[in-house]
Amino acid sequence: MASKTFSAAMGVILPVLFGVAIVVLWEHQAFHRLLNVKVLQLPLPSRILSVLLENTGKIIPDAVITLRTAVLGLLIGSSIGFLVAIIATFFPRWGYGGLTVLSAFNAIPVVALSPIMNVWFSSPSVAKTAVVSIVCMVAMSVNAFRGLNDLKPFSLDLMKSYASGMGPVFLKLRLPNSVPYIFTGIRINVASAMIGAIVSEYFSSASNGLGFGIRNKLSTGQFPLGWAYIIGASAIGILLYMIVVTFEGLATKHRSN
Amino acid sequence: MGKVKSFFKSGRFVSLVWIIGIVLAWEIAAFFIADVFHDRMMNSKLPYLHSIIGTIVGNFALLSMACATTLSRAIIGFAAGALVGFALAIFMSLFRPIEKISYPYLLLSQMVPILGLAPVVISIVHKVQIGSVTIAASDITRVIIAAYITFFPVATNMLSGLKSVDADKLSLMFTYAARKPTVYAKLMLPFSVPYLFSGLKIAAPLAVTASILVDSLGAAGGIGYNMTYSLYTGTYSIFWASVLCSAAMGILGYYAMVLFEQLFMPWKRGSSKKGGR
Repeated sequence: MASKTFSAAMGVILPVLFGVAIVVLWEHQAFHRLLNVKVLQLPLPSRILSVLLENTGKIIPDAVITLRTAVLGLLIGSSIGFLVAIIATFFPRWGYGGLTVLSAFNAIPVVALSPIMNVWFSSPSVAKTAVVSIVCMVAMSVNAFRGLNDLKPFSLDLMKSYASGMGPVFLKLRLPNSVPYIFTGIRINVASAMIGAIVSEYFSSASNGLGFGIRNKLSTGQFPLGWAYIIGASAIGILLYMIVVTFEGLATKHRSN
Repeated sequence: MGKVKSFFKSGRFVSLVWIIGIVLAWEIAAFFIADVFHDRMMNSKLPYLHSIIGTIVGNFALLSMACATTLSRAIIGFAAGALVGFALAIFMSLFRPIEKISYPYLLLSQMVPILGLAPVVISIVHKVQIGSVTIAASDITRVIIAAYITFFPVATNMLSGLKSVDADKLSLMFTYAARKPTVYAKLMLPFSVPYLFSGLKIAAPLAVTASILVDSLGAAGGIGYNMTYSLYTGTYSIFWASVLCSAAMGILGYYAMVLFEQLFMPWKRGSSKKGGR
């Protein structure tokens, strides 16, 4: 028992020590010497922190914009993806083939998508949301399809023996079965939504959002502020992920596995 | 099993029909934009697919040069990242403390927008000198970011493969008094190959994306540069041709990994249920 708690404690202590060591080495310019970089280009952690605290008034509005794009796009894209999965479930032969073709679209780089959306939509915020929606569509449709169709053995036969039609089978068997898979899809999508939002802000004509902040500050030589923006982006990514994991825990609590 | 085979055939057929359908939908949509609504922005919004392919053929030298620049850096970065990720996963499974130290960071880094770091690497790599051979800063940046983005999915998937080896099989190896290298060579590594490939399949399009992103953010060549430059100058035919090329490269990266997977694991052909973490 004691060894178990010790091992669990080490699981926390070791990574924290590692993180602290990195920050200390960084602060004492070990990486600067190693990479032959000037402090100007790679700001020290203490400086980044103080700049971050000084500029919260600037960073938070940008963070809100990025967060709005990411969450809205995530919701739209995931809903469409889920809808596609439902359609594919009702028309398995053609739907499944469509899904495999659709998943090839997943390999299209965000960088290529973003300029197209900028041409299609005159409003920059709509264009950005569209990029995120498209990026989020595929992972959700593939995962949801798996959840709607990887059923427990014989459960479908049981439903058939009850003489239940397509509708009840869907509502009472497939839909509940798909819940954990949907959360897997959302978890994957949180990361891709953040990347999609930030990359589309690199290319957007609107000069706001964390992505714009990162690119603008770094290219104009305001390195500490640029790094502060990166910290902001990371914080949002982690926050979103944790929210999803919390909801996942609540929604799947009653499941044994 | 004849049923499975015929399904496989019909699956291919279905995909083919879908692809033809998408091409047709594209052409019809372009037709409506151009000849029904008479949209003057047609060339920028959605040109005919056949005219884009015409542009690709017409500017083949330019585009293939750009693709070669982007793709070669992506491949180098991908190979480096995959190698490091593979090695770290093995180290993590060999030495528990290393796993304990790095695993939280692996998870954390998946939640952090990696491509957000591209401008940082660009800003740092700028001034670094590299020996007597001059390698452009943008090339190093492309390789670094492609490697970085490849590294995580490969490491996490490989590790989860190494960790999900059956305890029974491990104890069997133990009863044979097998040494660590033998256990890894004969059991652990072959077992985790499918997991490795699911990581590689995730990473391949990402590496291409990373390379293209660096092109368009600060390099003086590559397909991403063509894309932003042609947008800037309003030559939409080149823009759409570049977009099509970059999409093709991403898809190519994915299917190259599928092909490798089939070469390395011919027994797995057809069933692709086994996923990552």
